[in-house]
Parts: sequence; structure tokens; C-alpha cells
Amino acid sequence: MKRAVIKALDYYLPEAILTNEQLASEYPEWSIDKISAKTGIYKRHIAAKDEFSGDMAIKAAKNLFKNHNIDTGSIDYVLLCTQSPDYFLPTTACIIQDKLRLSKRCGALDFNLGCSGFVYGLGLAKGLILSNQAENVLLITSETYSKFIHTADKSNKTLFGDAAAATLVSIDGENGLNGEILQFEYGTDGSGANSLIVKNGGARSNFMRSQNVSATEPGDDNLYMDGKAIFEFTAFEIPGLVKETLKRNNVSIEQIDLFVFHQANQFMLNTVRKRAIIPEEKFFIHLQDCGNTVSSTIPIALKEAVSQNRIKKGNKVFIAGFGVGLSMGATILQF
Amino acid sequence: MDYNSFIENFKEQFIDADEISVDLGTKFRDLPTWDSLTGMSVLVMIKDEYEVDFSADELKRCNTVQEVYDLIKEKQQA
Repeated sequence: MKRAVIKALDYYLPEAILTNEQLASEYPEWSIDKISAKTGIYKRHIAAKDEFSGDMAIKAAKNLFKNHNIDTGSIDYVLLCTQSPDYFLPTTACIIQDKLRLSKRCGALDFNLGCSGFVYGLGLAKGLILSNQAENVLLITSETYSKFIHTADKSNKTLFGDAAAATLVSIDGENGLNGEILQFEYGTDGSGANSLIVKNGGARSNFMRSQNVSATEPGDDNLYMDGKAIFEFTAFEIPGLVKETLKRNNVSIEQIDLFVFHQANQFMLNTVRKRAIIPEEKFFIHLQDCGNTVSSTIPIALKEAVSQNRIKKGNKVFIAGFGVGLSMGATILQF
Repeated sequence: MDYNSFIENFKEQFIDADEISVDLGTKFRDLPTWDSLTGMSVLVMIKDEYEVDFSADELKRCNTVQEVYDLIKEKQQA
């Protein structure tokens, strides 16, 4: 039986950093120390003015190729997860194929998901591999929410950071990380679409953004998040998703060595952890230096867990993504 | 629903639960680590433990732990 495995992971964080000190001086009324104690976030990386998702995706992929000695000629499919594509068309993944000088026999496509995107990307990559359509899928997640966030929106500025991550998903192979992608569970509730949304810029706004730079309040051009709705979705839906994913894979919660969830913020993660009855020592948190990087939080956390030796050969790692859509997905990686 | 377990569940929602003391008369908004996130967490706890729908607006109208307790009790009996 053929297997699809994660062979290597890497990421890219933009150079500019937004620190808590900067936020504190910008918003003196904002008790950033108290807030950070809850969110677990102290720094976020922010894409440069002229740096876009496509650029960051390329940098993440280059890190992956270089640090893991990957033959670029072996890539036969590119999947890019982003909600801030460079253009309406063409697909940013096509531009990436060219800029990375990948084979012209590559398939390439973008898909639009946020915090659940990495898990969905693994699902797509696995499908391509098991159905003989590809052998080495380059899965990239790249997001620049900072470009959507209004300058006065201190809540979202505190939470979100920009980043890109690149993951090589391959047909069975002993070298590399060798994390086999097991069975998935997914979930969608589009009735919550308005809870996390950027309204303007699509067809419904006649492709227009008002670009009212003097607006003092966030508007329809900007990222809007109903924190309470997202919190509730996560708190009430994710424990069930965990249960169903374990059942589908026929493993018990005790057999999981590490849980790596979408790194939304520490407080919400702890609420979910307690409700899903996951022991704290098996629950990985990595937010401090990069914040919530949307679709890249899971691959970044996985890479950090590997380098901290929290993921070892033989381990079962449970991953779950959830958020904008509303959308969720989970699977187990067998290392 | 007994008072003690309710107070314990309520207190558990604060990040410094080990360091604070809470009783029925506590004006929970005055506790230093109270904020909107704690509020969300309290609402999740109420839905979970006491199986009633308690809205954010209803919580906003409560000042003491006792008032939250009473409203849950009222909803359970409704």
C-alpha cells in the first residue's frame, strides 16, 4: 500500500518585527503586558510594503530546498494556500513554478483557506499521491493578513503575524522526516462566514476597495474578526473533531504523543485543550515570536517541535486547523 | 448545582486561578485579570457544565458571582 509522507518542512518570516514595546507606545491605553500574558504573543513579523504572498512563498520554498537538500526537479505539483494572492489571475502557484524554476510538467494551483489550510493542503497532497497524479508535492502556505488589518485595529495587530511555510509531501520514502499522513476529518460551517471576513475587493464589491487611507476606523476593506464567534466555534467544535479523528484512525488519546493545533492564541488553545481533555505536557505551543500566522502556524510549530526533539521517530502527532470559513480539519501524522 | 463547585468552575476561568480568591460576593470585573477573553471562557464553561444558553449580554448585566449563579439557576428551572 502506497503512503504519503511529510518529508521536510521549512518556513520564512519577514524581516520587520512588530514588538510589544512598539504596540505599547502606539496605544498607551492598551495594556499589552497583560494581554501578552494571555495570548502568549510577544512579537510578530510583518511583510514589507513591497513583499507579497508570492514572494514569501518563494522564500519559504527556497529555504526548504536549501536546508533539506531537495532536488527541485523532483517537484511535480505545487499547492499554494493563501487568502492574499498576488493577482486575481493567474494563480500565484503558476508564478511560483516559474520563479523557482520547477519543471514545466508540474501541476500548480492555489486554494483559498486560512487557519485550516495546512491540514486541507495535506489532504489534497495525499490524494494526488495516492491516486498516482504526483509523487512530490510542494505544499506552501503564505499569508499577509497585516495588509488587511486597519492601522487602528490594535486587537488584530496584536494577534496576527505574516509568514510562509513550505512542506514537501512525497510518496513513501525512508529519508527525511517520514511523517506518514493518516486519515482525515473535516468540517465546515459557512453560516459563520461573516465572523472572519475581508468584504471588499471581490466581485460583490465590483472588485473595488475603497482605499480610504484617511479612515480612522476599520471598514469593509479590512480584516474583521468576531472574536467571540471564533472562540465559541473553536471551543465547542474542536473537541468533537478531535474525538472523530481519533476514532477514524482507531487510536486513543493516550496513544498520541503530541498535539499541534493551529496556534490561534494561547488562551483559546488552553480552553480547547481542557475541553478536549488533552494533557498539558502533550500540547505544543509556539506563538511567542511570530503570533498567529494563519495557515502557517501548524507547519512552523511542527518544525519547531522537531528541532526541540519533541517529535521523534515512532511518534504519533495529532494536528488540527480551524478558523475562517468557518472551516476545520484534522489528521494524525505517524513519524 | 451547588455553590462551591460553581465558584470553583468560575474561578478556573481566570489565568491566575491559583492566586485569586473568589466567593459569591466577588465583583468579578474588578479582579485584575478579568477581560473579554475570561468572559468568553466563563460563557463556554456555563454552556458546558450547566447546559444553558447564557449570552454575552446577559453576562454583561451581572456584576457578582452570585448574580451569574442566580441567572443560571433561573434558566435551568425555566
